[in-house]
Amino acid sequence: MHHAFKLGDAEHNLEISRGADGYRLHLIDDQTVPFDLKTGADGRQWLTLDGVHHEVVIATKGDDVFIHFDGEAYQLRYEHPLKRLAAAGGGAAEDRVMAPMPGSIVNVTVKAGDAVTKGQVLLVMESMKMETTITAPRDGVIEAVTYDKGQTFDRDALLLSLVALEKKK
Amino acid sequence: MSNRNTKAPDVSSWPFNSVLVANRGEIAVRVLRTVQKLGLKGIVVYHAADRGTLAVKMADQAIEITGSTPVASYLDGAQIIAAAKASGAGAIHPGYGFLSENKGFCQAVEAAGIRFIGPTPEQIDLMGDKVRARNYVEKAGFPVAPSAIEDNDPATFVERSRKVGAPLLIKPSAGGGGKGMRIVRDLALLEQEIERGRSEGQRYFGDGRLYCERYIENPRHIEVQVLGDGQGNVVHVFERECSVQRRFQKIVEETPSPALDAAQREKICETAAGIARAIGYRNAGTVEFIFGQQGEFYFLEMNTRLQVEHPVTEEITGIDLVQEQLRVAAGEKLGYVQSDVTSSGHAIEFRIYAEDAARGYTPTTGPVLTLQPPQGEGVRWDSGVIQGGEVTAAFDPMIAKLIIRGKDRDDAIAKADKALRETVLLGCKTNTAFLRRLIQHPAFVAGDVHTGFLDANPQIAAEPEMAKTTLHALLSAASLSTRPMRDVADAVPNMHAAIGGWRN
Repeated sequence: MHHAFKLGDAEHNLEISRGADGYRLHLIDDQTVPFDLKTGADGRQWLTLDGVHHEVVIATKGDDVFIHFDGEAYQLRYEHPLKRLAAAGGGAAEDRVMAPMPGSIVNVTVKAGDAVTKGQVLLVMESMKMETTITAPRDGVIEAVTYDKGQTFDRDALLLSLVALEKKK
Repeated sequence: MSNRNTKAPDVSSWPFNSVLVANRGEIAVRVLRTVQKLGLKGIVVYHAADRGTLAVKMADQAIEITGSTPVASYLDGAQIIAAAKASGAGAIHPGYGFLSENKGFCQAVEAAGIRFIGPTPEQIDLMGDKVRARNYVEKAGFPVAPSAIEDNDPATFVERSRKVGAPLLIKPSAGGGGKGMRIVRDLALLEQEIERGRSEGQRYFGDGRLYCERYIENPRHIEVQVLGDGQGNVVHVFERECSVQRRFQKIVEETPSPALDAAQREKICETAAGIARAIGYRNAGTVEFIFGQQGEFYFLEMNTRLQVEHPVTEEITGIDLVQEQLRVAAGEKLGYVQSDVTSSGHAIEFRIYAEDAARGYTPTTGPVLTLQPPQGEGVRWDSGVIQGGEVTAAFDPMIAKLIIRGKDRDDAIAKADKALRETVLLGCKTNTAFLRRLIQHPAFVAGDVHTGFLDANPQIAAEPEMAKTTLHALLSAASLSTRPMRDVADAVPNMHAAIGGWRN
């Protein structure tokens, strides 16, 4: 399967193809579901799935697809085949400290080049009107600090990075 | 509702004919709506981050203000007063938050010859300091919870707090909105938690003083809307129940409270009116109480401003609270008495937040690609966000307030479910699906909730398992909306595809 969407934390592999009547969704479990998506004269969109009609509202931005379906909104992100390949090559999640939520920096207690031990306080961030302490995920040396005191960031922003273990050897 | 609030006031005799709104977002829109309805000129200040918002679009005049951060610009009283003078504004409405309960701002506004649409500086000062407010209310003979106050003797604060006993709640003296509040169940952590609370208080309010009070287990939050004209007249406008909270912040507010019988309602509402009367209160205000499971209640604090959840009160009474604030600020008397204030039906407000309930209610950000607010009888949508706008981390994550009025509570809940279903907002995750799960919970339906209800029921916040049909629908719709996938599918002839089982 060449294509995949990320929905929440799960990745879904799939293909679509033309069918005699619209399209078909091919899933990894060999399941095939006939569907079609049509836009009415009034601009409303209708998804036909297994012969049942559902009204949907769809918006896209870059690789993100936002869908309102059955009273709820969902976000899917298209995973580019090349990017997925690169990611499979081995992530070094422990080298990168990401923001668990959007917020701003209250205080940074380390700078590039500092040696830190696992659990040591690296910075204090503020979000949701509360302070959260970010600690070192492992022993290591700080490679870079992205933000200064007072700066704001979005969720999953890279806050700090540690020198990769391989580099030290 | 009696006839007096349905007739528009005669603004020709007012000392001002233009109002500057020193706020942003939905509340700036809300205030401007009444200002313009009355035929007054509505002016708003805005930071560049808010340039594309509804308040800026609908104002008769919008003046840009600057600051080191967007929030800082709305806290810059001198700059806002300069904008008011430059635009010839005769009055300033502070909304809620920001400068709404800032005594220095209130004084500076009046010193500049501009009407402050709010209470007197002395009333802000008294009620703005939780400790002083608590002491005043206690002396006036109204009920308060057992507590230890740092200011009384800072050297023994930790010791006295320990004596109040666990569980206890640490609060900044100058605080509000749940900022810097901490529950301590294990007294071994008391000193550590006091330091954290002090640090937060210092940062948010520039004041690290604290107090501790007995934490009432499973309490309800019930507050009472009051209106005073500063000329001897005070009425209450019934209660609001705001027990559904996360991190001490309200999510759902309703009126009447399902917890009160008629006698309790009268008692708590009269207590609130009594407190407001005791200080000769001028403005719309809210007296908050903590309400125990046995029906006991204690004064929590008084907010000397318009409250986020004021619309539910408006919906059941027909009173436009912003109009009443303007009238009083213009020097008018209330002109009616308690028995003139009546209500009918039930109203519930839902705060639509940009947040991910399943991830600890953490805020989300993103563009507002599509926005289709719900419509219908009894459905009110108060928002400052419009399609094409953006939800950023610069401000509070509240996108909108959905207010539902029904003939009774069950009717309001049913209408709310439909309205939440029909709320389409794409581009930024919101809490609408979570709110639907919440109002379907048997405890909520029964009106049996307390402020710790969501913490005690984390399954409401958790993302439910997705139905297979839903997953297939989403993957289908997303695939056809993704160029590389659609192009590949359309490039393959129908005949080939019709053979079936096509995959690699």
